[in-house]
Amino acid sequence: MALSAIACHDVWKSYRVYHEPSHTLKEKVLFRRNRYEEFWALKGIDLEVPVGSTTGIIGANGSGKSTMLKTMARILTPNAGYVEVNGTMASLLELGIGFHPDLTGRENVFLSGSLLGRTRRDVAARYDEIVDLAGIEPFMDVAVKNYSTGMYARLAFAVAVSVEPEILLVDEVLSVGDEDFQMRCYDRISEFKAEGRTIVLVSHAMDSIRSLCDRAVWLEEGALREAGEAHDVVASYLGEVHGGPSGPSEGPSEERRFGSGEALLTDVVLLDGTGRSTSTFRTGEPLVVRMTYAAKEPLPNVLCSASVYRADGLAHLLGQNSRSRGLVLELSGRGVIEFTVPELPLLKGAYVLSVALHDDPVTKIYDWHDRAYSFFVVDNPRLPPEAGMVHVESRWRTWTGDPRAAAAPPAPEVRSAS
Amino acid sequence: MGSQSLTAPPPALPPRATRRRPVSIRGSLRELVQARELTVNLVRRDLKVEHRGTFLGMLWSLATPLLLVALYYVVFKFIIGAHPAVDKPRPDGNDVPFALYFFAGLTVWNLFSNSLSRSTTSVTSSGYLLRKVYLPKAILPLASVLSSLVTFAFEFVVLMVAVLLVVGPPSAQLLWAPAIVAVALVMAYGLALLLSAVNVFLRDTAHFIGILLQLWFWATPVIYSLQFVAKNPGVATLLKLNPMTGVVVSLRNVTLLDRGPELGLLAGDLGFALIALAVGAVVFNRSQRLFAELV
Repeated sequence: MALSAIACHDVWKSYRVYHEPSHTLKEKVLFRRNRYEEFWALKGIDLEVPVGSTTGIIGANGSGKSTMLKTMARILTPNAGYVEVNGTMASLLELGIGFHPDLTGRENVFLSGSLLGRTRRDVAARYDEIVDLAGIEPFMDVAVKNYSTGMYARLAFAVAVSVEPEILLVDEVLSVGDEDFQMRCYDRISEFKAEGRTIVLVSHAMDSIRSLCDRAVWLEEGALREAGEAHDVVASYLGEVHGGPSGPSEGPSEERRFGSGEALLTDVVLLDGTGRSTSTFRTGEPLVVRMTYAAKEPLPNVLCSASVYRADGLAHLLGQNSRSRGLVLELSGRGVIEFTVPELPLLKGAYVLSVALHDDPVTKIYDWHDRAYSFFVVDNPRLPPEAGMVHVESRWRTWTGDPRAAAAPPAPEVRSAS
Repeated sequence: MGSQSLTAPPPALPPRATRRRPVSIRGSLRELVQARELTVNLVRRDLKVEHRGTFLGMLWSLATPLLLVALYYVVFKFIIGAHPAVDKPRPDGNDVPFALYFFAGLTVWNLFSNSLSRSTTSVTSSGYLLRKVYLPKAILPLASVLSSLVTFAFEFVVLMVAVLLVVGPPSAQLLWAPAIVAVALVMAYGLALLLSAVNVFLRDTAHFIGILLQLWFWATPVIYSLQFVAKNPGVATLLKLNPMTGVVVSLRNVTLLDRGPELGLLAGDLGFALIALAVGAVVFNRSQRLFAELV
């Protein structure tokens, strides 16, 4: 295995949460013990970041992502365990790299440069490049306390990447700044990757994690939940966030379920093309809904229907029942109904599924699970990029001359001729 | 390559045995040496921030001592009119104005006192750095001491020019000056390490040090001479226990009075300085891991 750029060995880190912080003598003397609680932000993290990899750290708020990054940056010292770092490092935490508010942009560039281990001459040689990347040339002689958040972040990012560290730690920088600056960030980070440097970034933007990172680490309440290929980790993270644990379904809550109850859908699971239970699917790949029913009495003429909504409930994307596809059920006892979409046309996003059992002219509802099953669709790298909500197979053609000559076009494709 | 789960769910209890790699003092020292350029930049930052927005800028460092000397001269010559306690004449018998006598001791006292007052808050006021980047933290008090050294250099130049013009050319005794200043610097840095670390946990330190420096000033023969209190042996002994006494008296001797340093006192001061440095280094080193969280 290649050398690790960063190796965390059983790292534990706690904060003391003081109920009333006391820093003065009076309080120290009067209340000899400060009342505080120990909060464990990191609980025994073992982690290796391979040289040249781009690793994303994901997790809910308060899961320890920023503490992890600060510990890697050696800003925080762990209570137990240790972090090994091989290579020069620059960190960009909470958008800053330690600018002094009273100094100008120019002065801060040189100060930060030396904080990141560069000589004055090095920084001077890169100065123009830094200003160019930051794109705030007219403001370089203004004290940074007068900068806007965006300008501040631009300059900080420009300095951090321009000192060319072997390891770059970035915390949420990609979420600020305008489109133009974000593009520059992406470009620069891509260059960084191409140069074989190591990047660790924390982000809540799963799209950036997926497009920039090759590895991802999922932290949950200070512990490592999952680490591995970025796509997989993000998928299981999103699966859980949007759909609860992707295991056997627990069924809908009471307020999402109604019906007379002569027949019940006792179990509903979402499966992918390999028959694995999941809540994350890819565009163009199969989605299978397998429902188990139990009928208290024999019921003829029953239909099963399924609807898909966008997670915010504002768009009804799909709705059909089994009869329209040639299936009318006669239920008695227990059995299984399966609804298969062989090529899921939905694009990336969060969705929710309703299923129901009812009689033929929908006069009687036996069991209705209203928007009870959340699932998430992620991009399929095999398909061309596309915006919107649905994937549509399509063709594009062009010719010159008579617009109505489409009957005999000099089209390269002959598929329409049949 | 599929995803792999690397750890089990977190254990419920924090670890009892802590495995930590301690920061060795030697390692810290190496970092300090490696961060030379950063130190210089931090000193530059201190001075820039101090003079930010002023018309004269760095010239203030020169103007302040010049104005002070002029002021003392006027006050002691025309207002107080006394010629107090310069009871150790120069070997050549040249007259020494009291203003210069006072100023000579004041330069090195200011070096010490500025170092302490600046450095006490050097860590707590650098939160913007400590929370963002890794840096060898001991350079923060060091930068404060060194910026005070820059201020001292200006004052010292003014002093020597005034001595040259008013009293006469200095002798070879002046060669002792760097050694005397070095003792003051070691002492200042040792105490700076201690105070800057303590101030993180107990913010009263910054207030306390202001009062302490006032007391300490009057307990040091800056505005009076050792001979002035010689009649009272108790006070004289007490003064000799003050680790700044040897430094102030010696620097005045070699710059102004054309005499050698008080080697006995100076040796004692050096001893104190080294103890202060050792204690300061240990306290600072042991507490620095908490700085980023508490500032």
